[in-house]
Amino acid sequence: MRSAAEIAAVCEEIVLDVGLSCVLRHRAESGKKAIGFLPIYAPREVVEAAGMLSVGVLGGGDQIEIIRGDAYFQSYICQLPRSVIEMGLSGKLDALDGMLFPAICDVIRNLSGMWQLLFPNKYVRYIDVPHNHDWEVGGKFYVHDLRELGRGLAGVSGVTPSDDRLREAIALHNENRRLLRALYDLRARAPHLVPTAEAYVVVRAGYQLPVEEHSAIVREYLEAARVSGRAPLDQSRVVLVGSFCEQPPLGLLKTLERAGCYIVDDDLVLGARFLRGDVDETGDPWEALARAYIAHGSHTSSRYVAGEQKGEYLIDLCKKRKAEGVVFCAPSFCDPALLEQPMLQTALEAANVQHTSFRYSENTAQFQAIHEQAGTFSDSIRLWSEDQ
Amino acid sequence: MNAETKDVVTGGVDVGTSSIKVCVFRVDPTGEGTLLSKVVERIRRRDPRQVAEHCFELALEEAKLGKGDVEYVASTGEGHVVEFRRGHFYGMTTHARGAAYLCPGATGALDIGALHARAIRMDGRAKVLGYAMTSQCASGSGQFIENIARYLGVTVNEVGPLSLTATAPEKVSGICAVLAETDVINMVSRGISTANILKGIHQSMADRLAKLLRSAKIGGTVVLTGGLSADVGLTRAVEQAIASDKRAVGLRVVTHPDAIFAGAMGAALWGAARHRKLQARGLLPALDPSEVTT
Repeated sequence: MRSAAEIAAVCEEIVLDVGLSCVLRHRAESGKKAIGFLPIYAPREVVEAAGMLSVGVLGGGDQIEIIRGDAYFQSYICQLPRSVIEMGLSGKLDALDGMLFPAICDVIRNLSGMWQLLFPNKYVRYIDVPHNHDWEVGGKFYVHDLRELGRGLAGVSGVTPSDDRLREAIALHNENRRLLRALYDLRARAPHLVPTAEAYVVVRAGYQLPVEEHSAIVREYLEAARVSGRAPLDQSRVVLVGSFCEQPPLGLLKTLERAGCYIVDDDLVLGARFLRGDVDETGDPWEALARAYIAHGSHTSSRYVAGEQKGEYLIDLCKKRKAEGVVFCAPSFCDPALLEQPMLQTALEAANVQHTSFRYSENTAQFQAIHEQAGTFSDSIRLWSEDQ
Repeated sequence: MNAETKDVVTGGVDVGTSSIKVCVFRVDPTGEGTLLSKVVERIRRRDPRQVAEHCFELALEEAKLGKGDVEYVASTGEGHVVEFRRGHFYGMTTHARGAAYLCPGATGALDIGALHARAIRMDGRAKVLGYAMTSQCASGSGQFIENIARYLGVTVNEVGPLSLTATAPEKVSGICAVLAETDVINMVSRGISTANILKGIHQSMADRLAKLLRSAKIGGTVVLTGGLSADVGLTRAVEQAIASDKRAVGLRVVTHPDAIFAGAMGAALWGAARHRKLQARGLLPALDPSEVTT
């Protein structure tokens, strides 16, 4: 049996491989095509029901140098789209036969148009998820959108995503979601057993693997982590917020933990856990996916939820995870994360939850300032939280 | 005697860039600490993990205690190398607490380490209220002094006493270690005495440290801590720089023979505070690996 650290090391290798070796291997072995998707959430089940591998594209992180990507965006745009363009133009995404651009922000929406111009021979689709959660309006719209997506994908693979195939994909992803929930629950209960830097790569590796293969890895990691014998430390328990799209470098997550923070929940690689509950495996699977999005979609700044009290979800999450503070860790120039942040901070202050904030970009290499900030934040929680 | 009225034995391990300091304390329920032992060793080219463990064993031996007697070991500095730690506190937090222990009533600490210096403003409870930190290069650090000592052929321990004998100190660049080192080479070729060169370096560093204290808006009594607090030449130069600084009204710097242990002391004392907090909340069993249910 492999140790948790060994499993995480394999996952880290997959995550840091910007050449998508796993995807190439899978293509060669199965003969299947592959479709990429950007953050946050894409209905991967539809891609897989159409007989293809769905691949999450989260940028090249600190593994690539951006040369051509910068020419496409102004200086006040975040790093992710530059990085994705760089990967595309340098052939690192050649393993993908198409790309899905989910609704998250203007930049990603516009990137879908740029992709059509840059790669006219690839399948490109902008996924407009419902912003109106009334079933008769947004629900039916989304079902229509999903079916349209299915038809488009069938045109790429030659495989029609039938209801049965879609139900099968839903069942596999339900199992994967259950395992990821178990991983997050274990980390919240015993964060010393599941360092976030490990949990992160274990979750993110799933963006390059067939879902069954990933579920097997998560299951193995869970078992190994439970018996890892790692000693618990007296650290503060924090929730990490704002990293749902462009991902922080691994070094940043390690820095936070070394600075004395146990991350007991986060929105890293949020697409993998976007649906917080199972998707119905009976009945019309297209409707089931749409209903799951409306009923179980994550609360995040790029998803409009009518009547939502800003910050309420975050405060509930802190209570559920017994978190003592919130670390706002957002990419520079991320409009959705940074526009919502003041509202969330106001709500946290009203609820007497401590918070701190900093920004990063996926290729940030210096963590000293973040170490200081996180360290003093953790000390402040542990030493002064009750008598300020 | 119930748990809340019992003394707590704690350890603090300060892993610096060039040396490791360990302190063991007995802390009474009011938070009053008694130092039981202290150990410092230079890391040199050894594995810091092993040096930390070795220093801790020596400290326990000096305190006539076993590992099981210590209820909370806290690390500070590069604490991840201390594999037997229970908690970790950030350097500023621990130096503030250590300074308050060494000099009750202190309003600040000036931590001068091997790689950087930090001016820390604090309240009467040793809570950090603000700080300023050197952000340029190594010219204000212990590593720089060590390099210069090597060029001049003196030991690090000789640097302070030699500096005190200077009669006509020569100023060096206060901004860049590379420029300062070039200055020193020129001085040697011009026949400037070692004592005057060292005093010049101390004065240059002291000017920067005085500016640091001003930018951290610290008034009252400041305790010099960190590895360079043992350098009598530098501490004298800092005292002189503050005394001649018209903007530093009411500011006084003090030293203490144990000031290099301030980080380790602070870690041990905060460890005791944390131990009591966890105990009061009934959370201590959760820190025992065998008790964690998953």
